Amino acid sequence: MTALIEVTAPPALEPSRRTWRRFLQHRMGLVGAAMLLVALVVAVFAPLIAPYDPYESVRVNILDIYQKPSAAHLLGTDDGGKDVLSSLIYGARVSLVVGFAAAAIALVIGGLIGIVAGYRGGWVGSLLMRITDFFLVIPDLALQIVLVAIIGPSLGTIIVVIGALGWTTTARLVRSQTLTVRERKYVMRARAIGAGDAHILRRHILPAVLPLMLANMVLVISLAILSESTLAFLGLGDPTVISWGQMLNFAFGRGAVSAGAWWALLPPGFAIVWVVLGTTLLGTALEDALNPRLKRHHLEAPGGDVARDRPVLDIPPPALDVAAPILRVRELAVEFDSPDGPLRAVDGISFDLRRGETLGLVGESGCGKTTTVLGILRLLPPGGRIVGGQVWFDGEDLLSLDGRDLRAFRWTRLSLVFQGAMNAMNPVRTIGDQIAEAIRLHAPDTSKAEANRRAGELLERVGIGRRRANEYPHTYSGGMRQRAMIALALACEPDVIIADEPTTALDVMIQAQILELLGGIARDFGMGIILVTHDLGVVAQVCDRVVVMYGGGLAEENEAAPLFATPQHPYTQQLLLSFPDLAHPDRPLRGIPGSPPRLDAMPPGCRFAPRCPYVFDRCHVERPPEYPTAVGGRATCFLLDPDEETRR
Amino acid sequence: MSGRGGYLLRKIGWALVTVLVVVTFNFLLFRVLPGDPAKSGMRDPRLNPAAVETLRARFGLDKEVFLDLESGGNPFDTQFTAYLGALSRGDLGTSYAFRDQEVSTLIGQALVNTLWLVLPSQFLAILLGAGLGLFAAWRRGRPLDLAALTFSLFMWSLPTFFLGIILLVAGANWFGLPTSGRITIGNDFASFWDLAWDVGRHLLLPTLTLTLVLLGEYMLIMRSSVLDVFGEDYILTARAKGLSTYRIIRHHALRNAMLPMVTLIALNLGFTVSGAIQVEAVYSWPGLGALTVNAVADRDYPVLQGAFLLIAVAVVIANLAAELIYGWLDPRVSEG
Repeated sequence: MTALIEVTAPPALEPSRRTWRRFLQHRMGLVGAAMLLVALVVAVFAPLIAPYDPYESVRVNILDIYQKPSAAHLLGTDDGGKDVLSSLIYGARVSLVVGFAAAAIALVIGGLIGIVAGYRGGWVGSLLMRITDFFLVIPDLALQIVLVAIIGPSLGTIIVVIGALGWTTTARLVRSQTLTVRERKYVMRARAIGAGDAHILRRHILPAVLPLMLANMVLVISLAILSESTLAFLGLGDPTVISWGQMLNFAFGRGAVSAGAWWALLPPGFAIVWVVLGTTLLGTALEDALNPRLKRHHLEAPGGDVARDRPVLDIPPPALDVAAPILRVRELAVEFDSPDGPLRAVDGISFDLRRGETLGLVGESGCGKTTTVLGILRLLPPGGRIVGGQVWFDGEDLLSLDGRDLRAFRWTRLSLVFQGAMNAMNPVRTIGDQIAEAIRLHAPDTSKAEANRRAGELLERVGIGRRRANEYPHTYSGGMRQRAMIALALACEPDVIIADEPTTALDVMIQAQILELLGGIARDFGMGIILVTHDLGVVAQVCDRVVVMYGGGLAEENEAAPLFATPQHPYTQQLLLSFPDLAHPDRPLRGIPGSPPRLDAMPPGCRFAPRCPYVFDRCHVERPPEYPTAVGGRATCFLLDPDEETRR
Repeated sequence: MSGRGGYLLRKIGWALVTVLVVVTFNFLLFRVLPGDPAKSGMRDPRLNPAAVETLRARFGLDKEVFLDLESGGNPFDTQFTAYLGALSRGDLGTSYAFRDQEVSTLIGQALVNTLWLVLPSQFLAILLGAGLGLFAAWRRGRPLDLAALTFSLFMWSLPTFFLGIILLVAGANWFGLPTSGRITIGNDFASFWDLAWDVGRHLLLPTLTLTLVLLGEYMLIMRSSVLDVFGEDYILTARAKGLSTYRIIRHHALRNAMLPMVTLIALNLGFTVSGAIQVEAVYSWPGLGALTVNAVADRDYPVLQGAFLLIAVAVVIANLAAELIYGWLDPRVSEG
């Protein structure tokens, strides 16, 4: 059992070569790093670059004040007759020193509080988080002003004050990261074998938290630089050093506006923008690279979800009579965009669904079964595209439907029960309301009261009292939510319901009830059902026919009884062996060695070849076509080749 | 509904605790740290000990700070209780810089002026920011989204006071707008409308500055919270049901996306305050921010203390309001 549901690909939080590559692909981050580098070089080599020494005291000559830019003063002079360019160059020192030093303080405080709160938890953790909340509420700048005003403005004070107030976001970030790592399997394992706190913190928590902290530090630096310049502009800068905020304070307060001396105002302002923009870009790129949020987006499908130039099959649609299949899928192929080119998730799957039939679509995680049904429903996530094949539904070409026609087709002919109904309902609308919405959408003449009454009936049909129609999803248990989802799927009395892992994450008793419910509905309403699952027990219980998928394609298809009794494809055989058999409870369970192929590393020949016990040379070079089997089904395996010569 | 009542009580209780901590913090800040003029005045060597004692008694500094367990008298007759007592009467002391002016009167007027500036900016920024953020999220990765992101990033990097200066110069030179204060001083206004026109012209630039600064932030928040919602399974359900994109956004995405938005607006109130302080400093707008900055320059500690207390408490209360709105919007809060 575990061999089937073992989930691969852990979230990549630890830095790796891949992180580094992602960062390099991030053009924003490189621009930011370059901008910061320029500022650093200017700050370090200020005495060499600056044409004058702005700290040198000179007698102010009235004629020197606010001189226009000239060859002698490239950016003119300021209110004290000093060279603006030189002050600008030296100002970089203060900004960067304050930025880095304050961020370092914030990082230490925030890191400590975050790690302790996340690792210790308990009352210590919640007290620390309460303190963090308190500092999040208190307006930063107001407190900075008060503190610097009371203590007295010196560079050290400013650094300490900005650092001591700037740690809240770091603390929250570090805490949540620590919490995640603490619950990881390898940390639990280390704890179980008796590793001490110090060991776990040093070997497991810190390596996972530090990179994220450093990325966060870059953002804290940008905030600190902004704070410093603001304080200096408000007259709370260290009077003994030249900073950009102070230059603006003097120029703005001493008549640069009325003198029209834009050169005294714009350069220091844009210098601040330069450094803050650079650090922000760099920090954002680092965070993205460390913690890529490849968000799903269920609304957009740029360029459409069906490739225009896909090869058209020369197969006629099924005849329009009662005996013909209601759904016919032929050679369906789906690709996903990836940085390394398109990946083929489904590669030429074909099957039929007859009216009133229950079909099981079975396979390990990642074999393409969910992608197949999402493709049929035209609900592929962005980046996913149907690149080949045909889908007919009751004589209609599903892949050519668009816009209004597609929306009218949805739910009235084909509806869906989702994997994990926990989140399939909108949490801020009542269940009844969401069912009534579907009814009124497709039958706009229905009155609100009538739709609500029907929603209540449907809930009653699935074993939930109509009284509970006015409740929100969070008040329902997991099993009830799945029932409500089935009621929703029935709302427009469709011809076919696709149920994607409808019983996963439910306990065994509830599983049985849900399956019974689905079976009863199929009988009562004469609906066809496609049941997508990795659980062969579920399939054996309710399905008339079974399609076994492997590596994006068909492995075997047959009626349920012969498939379970005499599996023909080696994969089906192995799959059955890894499941408990009630008739032979003493038979040892065997997992399938190896793991399913990754999309970016498909074997060239048969997809199952690397794990197949009967593998021979031909399997590694050629993809087996579908062969009819002796027991009435079809399977993709060279062992079934009628020509004995080639069977080696 | 008891769950929701509990939520309400918890939030109000937490806000009260926060206010109490702010008050204590404020009290300590101006006593523990150096720079209290009452104390520094007493260090003047020309004063004889008797005069110092008189001064100490007058400022109440002869009492214990928190608890008096030694003198045998009332243990609660301390500096802190005296401070709390004065606070409860609305007495925040007298300004040093404006002779004979009560601090409470000064900051009361300033608060009204600040609200004139902050409320319209906040309203505009939230409205525009939410709209633009929604649009950007819907068109993720398209030119409009990238333009909106670039704008926000640039606004984020632009110090508020610098944007204020730029707009001030542009507005004064090209549109002849007033650049400082709330009203043209020494003018006789023929009618109420003349007065309103004058105040409106004064308000225009500061409001524009603050709106632009807040706008970028709110747009980013809305964009990411809408993107979160668009990734939820119930949006897929809505699409599978056959709802059009417009209906999905209107009936399923908007309210759900507003939930984190409300929380984040509350968390960002400090950002609003910071923006208001800078805008007021640039445009000499006679609000709490300008009052604070001037009090720093004048070493006017009673005003500084009062203004900081008011700002902090106002933010705590606004935060509480946001939490209560959240509780009203989201049916799940009764769970905890």
